[in-house]
Amino acid sequence: MIKVQNVDKSFDGFRALQSLDLNVRKGSIYGLVGTNGAGKTTLIKHVTGILKQDGGSITIEDASVYENLEIKRRTGYIPDDLYFFASYNLKESARFYRSIYPGWNEERYAQMAKRFELSEKRKLSKFSKGMQKQAAFILTMSSMPDYLILDEPIDGLDPIIRKLVWKYVVEDVAEREMTVLVSSHNLREMEGICDSIGILSKGKMMIERDLDELKSDIHKIQVAFREQSQNPYEGLKVLHKESRGTVDLLIVRNRKEIVEEVIAKNHPVIFDLLPLSLEEIFIYELGGGDSEIEGIIF
Amino acid sequence: MFQLDLKSRTSIYEQIVDNIKELILADVLPAESKLPSVRELSKVLTVNPNTIQKAYRELEYQGFVYTVAGLGTFVSAAAEKEVDAKRVSEVTEELRRGIRELKFLGMTQERISVLLNELLGERGDLR
Repeated sequence: MIKVQNVDKSFDGFRALQSLDLNVRKGSIYGLVGTNGAGKTTLIKHVTGILKQDGGSITIEDASVYENLEIKRRTGYIPDDLYFFASYNLKESARFYRSIYPGWNEERYAQMAKRFELSEKRKLSKFSKGMQKQAAFILTMSSMPDYLILDEPIDGLDPIIRKLVWKYVVEDVAEREMTVLVSSHNLREMEGICDSIGILSKGKMMIERDLDELKSDIHKIQVAFREQSQNPYEGLKVLHKESRGTVDLLIVRNRKEIVEEVIAKNHPVIFDLLPLSLEEIFIYELGGGDSEIEGIIF
Repeated sequence: MFQLDLKSRTSIYEQIVDNIKELILADVLPAESKLPSVRELSKVLTVNPNTIQKAYRELEYQGFVYTVAGLGTFVSAAAEKEVDAKRVSEVTEELRRGIRELKFLGMTQERISVLLNELLGERGDLR
């Protein structure tokens, strides 16, 4: 269980994180999403104990993370900007990881190195960006972490490798109840893999929820009535409304059953109800006031 | 076992529930047969095990399967499946919409009725 409570952090007067909360259940895959500069990487650097918060608490299994070797030994972290020792190849890096992480699994390492088809002899600094990401993934997963923290793990990876990466992650969550915190801009991929979602904006946690609950709570509807009554949407929480001729497009924050019940009362001639994709929820929640962005969603 | 459509607006959890229901109704998964474990299915489909767990819970709630602690999840005998009145009214609404669509397309009452009977005949499991 990763628990971040009321955390503040400022850099030279810039408030990067503001009374931020985050809760990741054991064995969960938690997706951290947010606009550029929202504070995702800063938050991750706090959860991994690299940065120290100005206020609030960050705990894993109820123990403070900062300078906590015991927790760090069981945490795997792949940063967005990778670091390798300049002259090391994969094999030498593996030896280094083995000396640091007590959970190191040589068998898993050998199997993954083969599966990803990476050279163990070539210097890692000579690898392409995508290959370096794969190398970092192999090393991290071979240390058998209880907590896996990934900052933009999949950008720069081809679809086949991405699938393979997720396969390993899901397997460890299923087999050993590994807990995963992952940040990404690839919302479609997050939607397929995560069970919980945190949406970050300007250093604040906007929404933190179970993904399916989040999705069952907000809908896009398209509706037309033969006779327009006074207010056909009474009882619905309408977040957005747009009319195109006689057809209305709405975004409502209600459960499906309630939407259907309210709309059915007025005998619609057209009525379509769609759940929103995570991408649409993200754009709507974070760019709601922006008409240009609205133009994209509809 | 089955394929998931990641581009669909239907959530993965609902897709799993629907797919397994379909397999049970078609007798591909007969009564008392064992469903794959959460771990197995999550690996095969590359889907979050928590999502599969949730789908199994929903199937259990709807009476399609039952769980024996330590042994796994099994398909319920047909008689135990309770008719969910809410789902029935939802599906009835879908049928009503389909029939309206057929009328728009210019089909007569008789032809629609013949068509519905044909569709019923296609389901060997209902005979």
